[in-house]
Amino acid sequence: MNVRSCLALAALLFFAAGAHAEPYFAVRTGLKCVQCHANVTGGGLRTPFGNAYAQTGLPARRLRVEEEPWSGMLGRYVAIGGNLRANFDHVDVPDQDERSAFDVAEGRIFVEASVIPGRLSVYVDEQLAPGDADNREANVRLWLREGTWYVKAGKMYLPFGWRLEDDNAFVRQVSGINMTTADDAVEVGLEYGAWSAQLAVSNGTAGGPELDNGKQLTLRAAHVRPTWRAGLSASFNDTDAGDRYALALHAGIRTGPIAWLGEVDYIDDDGLGPTGRQLIAALGEANWMPRRGHNVKLTFEWFDPDDDVDEDEQTRTSLVYELTPVEFLQLRVGARVYDGIPQNALQNREQYFIELHGFF
Amino acid sequence: MRLRLAGSKRIQPMLVPAALLAIAGCAGSGEGLDANGRPIGEGGSDGGSNGGPPGGPPPATGEFRQIQDTIFTPVCTNCHAGAAAPLGLRLDEANSYAMLVNVPSVQVPALQRVTPGDPDASYLVQKIEGRAAVGARMPLGGPPLPQSSIDLVRQWIAQGAPPATAGLAEQLQPPRVVSTVPAEGEECPTPSTLTIVFSHPVDAALASADTFQLHASGGDGSFAEGNEIQVPLASVEVSLVNPTVVTLTPRGALAAETYRITISGSGAVALADVDGRVLDGDDDGTPGGDFHATFTVTEGTP
Repeated sequence: MNVRSCLALAALLFFAAGAHAEPYFAVRTGLKCVQCHANVTGGGLRTPFGNAYAQTGLPARRLRVEEEPWSGMLGRYVAIGGNLRANFDHVDVPDQDERSAFDVAEGRIFVEASVIPGRLSVYVDEQLAPGDADNREANVRLWLREGTWYVKAGKMYLPFGWRLEDDNAFVRQVSGINMTTADDAVEVGLEYGAWSAQLAVSNGTAGGPELDNGKQLTLRAAHVRPTWRAGLSASFNDTDAGDRYALALHAGIRTGPIAWLGEVDYIDDDGLGPTGRQLIAALGEANWMPRRGHNVKLTFEWFDPDDDVDEDEQTRTSLVYELTPVEFLQLRVGARVYDGIPQNALQNREQYFIELHGFF
Repeated sequence: MRLRLAGSKRIQPMLVPAALLAIAGCAGSGEGLDANGRPIGEGGSDGGSNGGPPGGPPPATGEFRQIQDTIFTPVCTNCHAGAAAPLGLRLDEANSYAMLVNVPSVQVPALQRVTPGDPDASYLVQKIEGRAAVGARMPLGGPPLPQSSIDLVRQWIAQGAPPATAGLAEQLQPPRVVSTVPAEGEECPTPSTLTIVFSHPVDAALASADTFQLHASGGDGSFAEGNEIQVPLASVEVSLVNPTVVTLTPRGALAAETYRITISGSGAVALADVDGRVLDGDDDGTPGGDFHATFTVTEGTP
């Protein structure tokens, strides 16, 4: 890589803003997650196809039309990617002073070495900001049969439901399986025709040290068609703190310019409260693309923190406008309204944000 | 209205907000619940009535109960609870104290999550103030805690991070062990000290190598074979600022082995609290009985 490439890379890292997974892209295009991401279940490093889509299918206009497009490949064996998310947040909590702040919500870099292209790869996802470096994923993957069966071992995000960009979505927070809770695991995956399935065995400590002999078993299976998809996820975590069962149904469908996503999670956790609790979270999301480079995302979420207690439900409604003016750059402007029990101010807050998101 | 699949040009985008907003307004009324969304009178938590959730009137003192009720339960346990708690850190009422005080941080193991007496060196404070070396400010994705809440945590730590004051019923009970670090059954790297938290202030005059003992299993992981080896203790110290906490310092680094802490609640010399009540070591609700906690050092000096 020459100096210009290095500078371009550094600039992208600096100006980019979080490239999490956005499953509505998959629903909109009718493709599997693995088509655009090195990670079979989505998120993280983009494949050359994903990078090509990011340059031709996403932006309202292209700045680099005559040069060779960025593929993420540094030679034949090594691929690199990254994202950085710079935010301005304004939060209004009832009975508190309003707050606003700039912050770097996230800066991550992904590197994959395909030491045997198509079969064996080593992958690292490192968070560089905020704070010092913090490893998110580090694993080795072997395709036992190219493009069909694989086994992966190391630290990884567990497969469960929609891998949304927003880790604070109720379904991501309540399930406890999101991009902040990567775990040490072994995963076996199948990509066969319209089917995509993963089974992972992990410590079940959400990234913490293993303190007991219990393990977590997580299964996700999805059927992917060009205009719709549906999947089932299940997880069982055996811990000294209590067993935890989680079940999720997720689905997506494309109707004209709108990509719809839905998910319902049910969790039964013996470790919550003195006798355990059952929790339910649901998400419905519509992504309307009036024209290329523009997306309007409306999300409604519902959360019941204890199925045995009445009148404790919470909702979260979000309206986000996403503009991708040029390749590798996205501007997001949004509002989230929380609605919960009146005696809890935090459950009734409003949040407004502007986010500059760059990725490669 | 009828939805059409991909390819339809007659989809009406206004259907989207209409459909989603139609099901909005489904939040609970909160009737019969405390500020944490729990039924009033359920017990344990006071439901934030001391100060409500962050944003309410600042609590007056650095009581751990207030921190639990106004910060951990309403805010942190949205994620840090149950078997899926991030980094294994559970901040629900039953676990928070034992998982915080004198417990190394996972992200920065050189720092304790809470170092009694030293708020600046406590990783918990660094995380909620947004100056931790690793990762984002907590609460993740939510508004920062009000300064009054951060001050409450700082005050509690500066006062020695005492556990929640026992309720009247608890005060009438004999003293018992609340938690140990390392915890029962835990596998851990070589600890430099062992910490025991009691429900009541301990009589320092009785805290000695006679009442606190540490044994190695003799290599077989069992303490019933008669081959156990007593590990000498360099010190047995009752915290001056928080006499419910006792720290044991082994003489020399603990090798990779299984160990058992024994606290005497019976026999010629039994541990007692400052009111002279003997330890309820076997946790049967009556004074007497020895307490045992076993842990395994996985990385030690061979």
